[in-house]
Amino acid sequence: MNNAFIIGQYVPGNSLVHRLDPRTKITVIFFFVFIVFFANSLASYSILTAFSLASMLTTRIPVRYILKGLTPVWFLIIFTFTLHIFVTKQGTVLVEIFNLKIYSGGVIQGFAISMRFFLLILVTSLLTLTTTPIEITDAIEDMLHPLKKIKFPVHELALMMSISLRFIPTLMQETDKISKAQASRGVDFKTGSIKDRVKAVVPLLVPLFVSAFKRAEELAMAMEARGYRGGEGRTKLRELKIMKLDIAIFILFAAVAAGLFLTRVY
Amino acid sequence: MMHTQSSKLLRLIILALLGTISLLLIFLDFPLPFLPGYLKIDFGDVPALIAALIFSPMAGVIVAAIKNGLYLIVGGGEPVGVMANFLAAMMFVLPVAFLYHKYKGVKSIVSGLITGTIVMAIGMSVLNYFVLLPIYAWFMGMEEMKIEAVKRATVLIGILPFNLIKGIIVGALFVPLFLKLRVWIEQRHVKMV
Repeated sequence: MNNAFIIGQYVPGNSLVHRLDPRTKITVIFFFVFIVFFANSLASYSILTAFSLASMLTTRIPVRYILKGLTPVWFLIIFTFTLHIFVTKQGTVLVEIFNLKIYSGGVIQGFAISMRFFLLILVTSLLTLTTTPIEITDAIEDMLHPLKKIKFPVHELALMMSISLRFIPTLMQETDKISKAQASRGVDFKTGSIKDRVKAVVPLLVPLFVSAFKRAEELAMAMEARGYRGGEGRTKLRELKIMKLDIAIFILFAAVAAGLFLTRVY
Repeated sequence: MMHTQSSKLLRLIILALLGTISLLLIFLDFPLPFLPGYLKIDFGDVPALIAALIFSPMAGVIVAAIKNGLYLIVGGGEPVGVMANFLAAMMFVLPVAFLYHKYKGVKSIVSGLITGTIVMAIGMSVLNYFVLLPIYAWFMGMEEMKIEAVKRATVLIGILPFNLIKGIIVGALFVPLFLKLRVWIEQRHVKMV
């Protein structure tokens, strides 16, 4: 378990993208994922790429850091590219190595699909890079608000998510403490067969669950002592507000989408 | 046991913390040497099982949902994989929960785990073959390629044995764990049903 995980991928900052309302970011990204699939010409891809790169640079997060976060996906992107190069047989033959012919259509197709893939992953990862998990939770609670009408427990779920997030570092420390305590008593977590390692997890989990139950009791009591009585009429410390900036971003994004649909080939 | 005014709040918080433990347990994973690296065994379903047995099947579903929601918003996974993990957890947890609540006792847990493992292995194979793999193929622009053979191979060599082994390992861990915890819960006279 690495410590970076405590706050997830989030990189603190005060950039334009950081300051956007999380609901704006979620909405824009949702529609971005949708329109990416409509790009099919050089111009439409250029518009999408320009938008994505501009958003990435605006975050002021070091580009190397962002790209490093995409490491697991690089393999897939390269794999897709190679596959398309060798399988698609359209256009003129560019290179011929022994029996393998590489067609121009394959290269273009490979580029287009890998680019699409890359842009999708890049833009969606910007959300978790510039928004704290708790902000995302607040935004989701707010956006799911209409579901309350059909008795879907939006508030309760959001509360559970917030509590869960709050206790990630606490329970992580707890896990660390317990595993050290058990290791000092001779439990071996790191070596041995699968069976031995599964067995070693039991003395780690029993105290972890017991302590979580105890913490839950304390927290429940503390919340009730402070007058918690469910979602009705509860006020918030962090209010979400749509600012001029958010409206500007919506307009910009609408322009990008319009540009894409104008330049795509039908 | 200190009695709080509403056991509903206590239950809600317990489920939240079980969700946190679930998330932490994902990072305690170990890949199986003979399967591709992206198929990893993790114990993330254990807290969901515990919730489903001490409360209700629905509680297990909630814990699995929290785990996957957390995983998504801390930036750990992509939506399709997260959805797949959630569905797998439901297929595994629900049979155990239903059998246990009907018959109680260790035997029902064991037979539930066996049923759950089979349901999950077959369910995930079907789901991967007809839904998930086509979605991934579509994302990678391979929809028009002949991938029937690849799909079948992935399911038969990867998905099916992986879920069987995962079910067996998680089950082997869960039975002794739950028996120990149950004693503790009963000692504290917690009325958690």
